[in-house]
Amino acid sequence: MSNVKIKSKNLNVYYGDKQALFDVNLDLNEKEVTALIGPSGCGKSTFIRCINRMNDVIDICKVTGNIEMDGININDKDLDVVSLRERVGMVFQKPNPFPKSIYDNISYGPKIHGKGETKSELDQIVENSLKKSALWEEVKDRLDEPGTSLSGGQQQRLCIARAISVNPEVILMDEPCSALDPIATAKIEELIDELKKTYTIVIVTHSMAQAVRVSQKTGFFHLGKLIEVGKTEKIFKNPDNKMTQDYITGRFG
Amino acid sequence: MTKEERLKKRHRAEKRFRFYGLTSIFVALLFVVILVQNIFSKGSSAFKKTVITTEVFFDQELLEIQNGASQEEIMEADFYDIMIENLIKAYPAKDRDEEDELLKLFSGDAEIEIKKAFLNDNNLIGKTITLDLTASDDIDQLHKGNYPRDLPEERRRISDFQLVIYDYFVENKKISKNFNNYFFNNGDSRDPELAGIGGALVGSFYSILICLLLAFPVAVLASIYLEEFAPKNKITDFIEININNLAAVPSIVYGLLALQILLATIQLPRSTPLVAGITLALMTLPRIIIPCRASLKAVPPSIREGALAVGASKFQSVFHHVVPLALPGTLSGTIIGLAQALGETAPLILIGMVAFVVDIPSSPIDPSSSLPVQVYLWSESAERGFVEKTSATIMMLLSFLIVMNFIAVYLRQKFEKRWN
Repeated sequence: MSNVKIKSKNLNVYYGDKQALFDVNLDLNEKEVTALIGPSGCGKSTFIRCINRMNDVIDICKVTGNIEMDGININDKDLDVVSLRERVGMVFQKPNPFPKSIYDNISYGPKIHGKGETKSELDQIVENSLKKSALWEEVKDRLDEPGTSLSGGQQQRLCIARAISVNPEVILMDEPCSALDPIATAKIEELIDELKKTYTIVIVTHSMAQAVRVSQKTGFFHLGKLIEVGKTEKIFKNPDNKMTQDYITGRFG
Repeated sequence: MTKEERLKKRHRAEKRFRFYGLTSIFVALLFVVILVQNIFSKGSSAFKKTVITTEVFFDQELLEIQNGASQEEIMEADFYDIMIENLIKAYPAKDRDEEDELLKLFSGDAEIEIKKAFLNDNNLIGKTITLDLTASDDIDQLHKGNYPRDLPEERRRISDFQLVIYDYFVENKKISKNFNNYFFNNGDSRDPELAGIGGALVGSFYSILICLLLAFPVAVLASIYLEEFAPKNKITDFIEININNLAAVPSIVYGLLALQILLATIQLPRSTPLVAGITLALMTLPRIIIPCRASLKAVPPSIREGALAVGASKFQSVFHHVVPLALPGTLSGTIIGLAQALGETAPLILIGMVAFVVDIPSSPIDPSSSLPVQVYLWSESAERGFVEKTSATIMMLLSFLIVMNFIAVYLRQKFEKRWN
């Protein structure tokens, strides 16, 4: 049994008057992939956006309850979100590289956090990040080209490289393959398998197959509530809850 | 109605719509062509001036200076007698009256033109040179064909005798047209042949420069704050509505405001590009803020999220990513705002830029004119020479506007493409 990295306790999220999450209690294990599944609008993305406090950007969003990372409540108003986001990286649904060169895309994070003081240190970080995201061989000769000139799958791997460039502990992935073709998806999944040796990963996905392939633990959300959570194998083979059963067999969703 | 009839009806409606569209475009183009043609036909002759080729002999007895005189000595010397003595030889006049009429064919600057020739070469004493002296406005217009010579003499500004001299000049090939450097270098003048837009150009340049320096940073910072940092509440909504309202306020109101506050209360110098620039900046501010905010809004939220997700602060995400991406739109909005300010006349009239200013301003606190006001001033003058100058000034103004709009479009297309 691995250590618990992140622990949410009675997490509630409100968008204005509308409650989006109801008392979510979920543990995420260190160096493991946790998949979150559930129909659209069920609160999966809202949940992971609590982990790096991305919901702060939305004015009307209010979060109550605790999320502890290594025992420290990250939902504390006094917590510095910048250093939190340095520890918790995020990859979005649609690849969103900065409209800058491949090199600048990756070196941006380290630069603003004062990592990589010299050019050669930065070069090293860029190379390592690209190698870890399995993009190095494809782009090593054209680091000066704009990140936006890459294909969709490459762009998403670039975004993963960008996320790991600041050496986070946790990586959040919000449907990272939904805009990609099957081949690019396979590559990203392979990559996730590799990355979980170093990072704690949370992935939101609409693909059951993907959840089965990449995750060790799966949580099923429905209408803002965490219905069931457990080992991926168990959830997909023998769920306790009827609703989970119905969802994974495609009877609703 | 059968299916076929419905189809026919739809096709007819489409055809009709096409016809309406094409007609309106054609009418619009027609008006543009008429306008441009009108301005060009009236204005193009102003870029040339009529000169009379005259022999000038520098008589030692009439000048108090020697060959090799210094610049100051020449500037102080009196060239009046030299001018008179030489000009009356341009035509074999019989008496004083005829000589007087002859002298009137030259511009008021003939003496200065002769002095300038001597300044260029101070060894001319005892020598004769040929100079192209600027003709008077009347001869200029006559020679350009803008002046009807078949009117009865009492309704003409040119006497019969002057026409005889003119014909003599033409016959002896002493009259010709040169590039009109006065039009670009001189300030305003009562004499159309000497009047130029030099002062107005410099005045407009200073005004727009001050307008840019004041309006651009304020507008950009205000837009960034309102768009990215300000909380969305009733107060910011109110500010937003009022920015849109301000952009629609007639420019003359800004003129009145400047008159009251800048001139009457703060007592800044009247008729100066400084006041004009401040007034135009006030007017341009909302007109820059609006496109500026639009281009900030156009930056996709995913870019902001991407920056925040790697741990950039709000401030860093805005200034490292959003602002650079919004820059092309911001710059083109600014240029278009400045182009509007360049053509603005009403507020400048109120702050006294209609004053008759001969000198070319050497700083933004010297009295000055500006291009649109110069158009206004000349369009009210009676002399024929000012008609062509008015149109020529409009041509200059329009070409500046076209160039500025072109730069704006170019910036937007060239730099926005790169990011998509």
